[in-house]
Amino acid sequence: MGSPWGKIWQSEVMSEGIPDSVRTRGLFKRFGQQVAVAGVDLVVPRGSFAGLVGPNGAGKTTTLSMITGLLRPDGGITEIDGVNVWRDPVLVKSRIGVLPEGLRLFERLSGRELLSYNGQLRGIPRQEVERRSEELIKVMDLAESADKLVVDYSTGMRKKIGLAAALLHNPVVLFLDEPFEGVDPVSANTLVEVLQRYTASGSTVVFSSHVMDLVERLCDWVSVMNRGQIVAQGPLQEVRGGRSLNQAFLDLVGVRGGGEEEGLTWLGSTPA
Amino acid sequence: MAGVHSGVSAAPPAAAPLGLGRTVGLFVRLKLRLIAGNLRGELTYRIGFLFTLLAAAAVAVIGFLAMSLLRLVPAGIAVDLGIVAFALVFLGWAVLPLLAFGLDDTLDPARLSLLPLRTRQLAAGLFVTSAIGPWPFASLVVTSGAIIGLAAGAGGALLGMLAVLLQFALCLVVSRLITTSLSRVLRTRRGRDLLAVAAIFVVVLAQLPNLVINRGLSGDWAGMLADTAAVLRWTPPGMAAHAMADGGPAALAELALLAVLALLLGLLWIEVLRRALVTADASTQAGGVRRSRGGVARLLPDGQLAAVVTKELKYARREPRGRVGWFASVAVTAVLGFSLSGQSDEWAGVEGAAALVVVPAGLGALMIGLQSCNAFGIDGRSLWMNSVVYGSERELRTDLAGRHLAVSLIACPLLAVLSIIAALLAGNLLWSLPATLTAWGVLGLALGVGAVTSVIFPYTTPDRLNAFTGAVPGQGGVAFLGSFAAIIGTSVLVAPIVVPVLFSLPWLSVAAVPYGLVVAWGGRRLAALIGFARFPELLAAVSRSA
Repeated sequence: MGSPWGKIWQSEVMSEGIPDSVRTRGLFKRFGQQVAVAGVDLVVPRGSFAGLVGPNGAGKTTTLSMITGLLRPDGGITEIDGVNVWRDPVLVKSRIGVLPEGLRLFERLSGRELLSYNGQLRGIPRQEVERRSEELIKVMDLAESADKLVVDYSTGMRKKIGLAAALLHNPVVLFLDEPFEGVDPVSANTLVEVLQRYTASGSTVVFSSHVMDLVERLCDWVSVMNRGQIVAQGPLQEVRGGRSLNQAFLDLVGVRGGGEEEGLTWLGSTPA
Repeated sequence: MAGVHSGVSAAPPAAAPLGLGRTVGLFVRLKLRLIAGNLRGELTYRIGFLFTLLAAAAVAVIGFLAMSLLRLVPAGIAVDLGIVAFALVFLGWAVLPLLAFGLDDTLDPARLSLLPLRTRQLAAGLFVTSAIGPWPFASLVVTSGAIIGLAAGAGGALLGMLAVLLQFALCLVVSRLITTSLSRVLRTRRGRDLLAVAAIFVVVLAQLPNLVINRGLSGDWAGMLADTAAVLRWTPPGMAAHAMADGGPAALAELALLAVLALLLGLLWIEVLRRALVTADASTQAGGVRRSRGGVARLLPDGQLAAVVTKELKYARREPRGRVGWFASVAVTAVLGFSLSGQSDEWAGVEGAAALVVVPAGLGALMIGLQSCNAFGIDGRSLWMNSVVYGSERELRTDLAGRHLAVSLIACPLLAVLSIIAALLAGNLLWSLPATLTAWGVLGLALGVGAVTSVIFPYTTPDRLNAFTGAVPGQGGVAFLGSFAAIIGTSVLVAPIVVPVLFSLPWLSVAAVPYGLVVAWGGRRLAALIGFARFPELLAAVSRSA
């Protein structure tokens, strides 16, 4: 059950009586024969900038989908700020912001219309939606393309407008699935700045990524997933244990054999 | 040492340039493999492909027989029919590959631009791949029928064979020339949008025979044929058909001209291809949309309902699949009303003649309503945005109400106009009143039933409309069940109002609207109850990738 780091941290917090921002117990999901998530105990303390890392197919997306109420788990409990996601969806959904994997947005709305649709759907008064949208569009550097259809946006623009939509109702916890994948350095920098400002105020960000350098630079809390389970979890420094995060990750996940011994002898410009 | 090694490492054998023959062989195998690929994978794909094969075989056999039977028709008419048939085949070759763009990978030169081939080699390969497949084969067989039907004597048959081959070559080159020159536009989002809407013409064309028969436009067939053929006679396919029947020196001259034309077009195509391979994709240069202040939704109270109505109205306008649905409903209704009213003379004075107006209006309402039998399909993968907001059944109900309101805002005036037009055509404007009221009622019923089928049988609407199924592979069955349930459910519910209105109780149509409203409301309640409980499953069902 969980990692030693998770346990240490949990007992500390419990003594103070503050619930974690995100906590799952035994979260489980199978697709047909394949077990995608095999009992995940994820813990994210309030106010942290948390990274969920793991190789492809580790179950990161499935886990985040179940936490945000987009995918029904086959077992386990998920709590956000102590509230059960699947038992009290009204309260939870008003408190979280989500940017799922892929770039699934309403393609035939313009960026501005997408924001206003989101805001109104969440019951924010129209004037307030417009005010917040304008500011978000400006901060995200989307002013020029705000009236273009999302279907014509580039990857970076999509991630930015997606993040803007997720932030519009000022959620307490923000879940981002691969927010930096395929994003150019300039857009990535904008995203980082907005997110850092957001967590500085005490809100929580949970994001999944393969980019270890980025996680190392941004996060103060890391959860490492492999084959549907959390293999390590805790403050960045503890998980790293003196190594680089990349090395710690490779050690934890276990590196499969390299291609040095056989094959690929024809590759490269020097003759054998 | 260096000398020894350099001999070993230089010029790897696999990189030798391909000869023209091998290139063509390579492309033939590529195309065959692409076709064979249809036989693997999901069952719906395979059934669709089997259907294509059967349809192509049927067209080939029936077309061949029909063309060869031209021999039994008086010579003048036979030539005219042959000319028209050749021109139709040619037109088909020019237009239909455009609709398959993006489905057939060999049609888009950009997919092949990285191959280490000279443009001429590529052109030869592409030319051959065009000729392979069930439909090219069918068209070749059909035109060959004309050799039996039109050609005179052994010399004529020989010339006929030549004419058929030249016609085939011309078809291939022209179709390639058109797809290649438009490939840049077709790869852009706007081009694809336009093309998706163009598919609607196929729907309308399918209604044409119906229209012709019911309107009795049969006046002077022979004259019309002669006029058409006289014009088409001088087009390339017309010349090919004419040459077959002529068989003399004039025929030889015509065929020589066709050969030169095919060659010139081929050279032009190679030039266009050369340019298409090195010009950029223009899809990112899209313009913006007008910033609207919300339109109708401004009148609604601020909140979820207004948000959904605004979005749905925009989607009806901007989403090609939405536009196709609306155009199809209106076109089919209009054609139906027009052709039914052609019979109004026979019905004059008959009790229940209002049916001539009520039936098309009601069917129009049904068609519009049926588009909502998978209400979340077009949202597809974006539906998560609603899912992360909706925490209660009531919110899903509001969402459905917003969708219904948006559909009604477009459909109600439209149905009224259609009813008035149908009534004018039928000769009694008064009938438009029961027709409009009945149509509105039917719309309510269809929306109510559609809300329930949307949550019980949700499926993903593919980005590209497919001729065989409106669902992505693997969901054809669900899509069928959904539409079927919607049609049956609506038909059963519709009976209490439509039957009396048709049989001389038109005043009963007053009850249609409240009845429709109640059913729509009930449908939304039931749908929200079922749908909220299984929203994650619903989301997964509409988020399949095509």
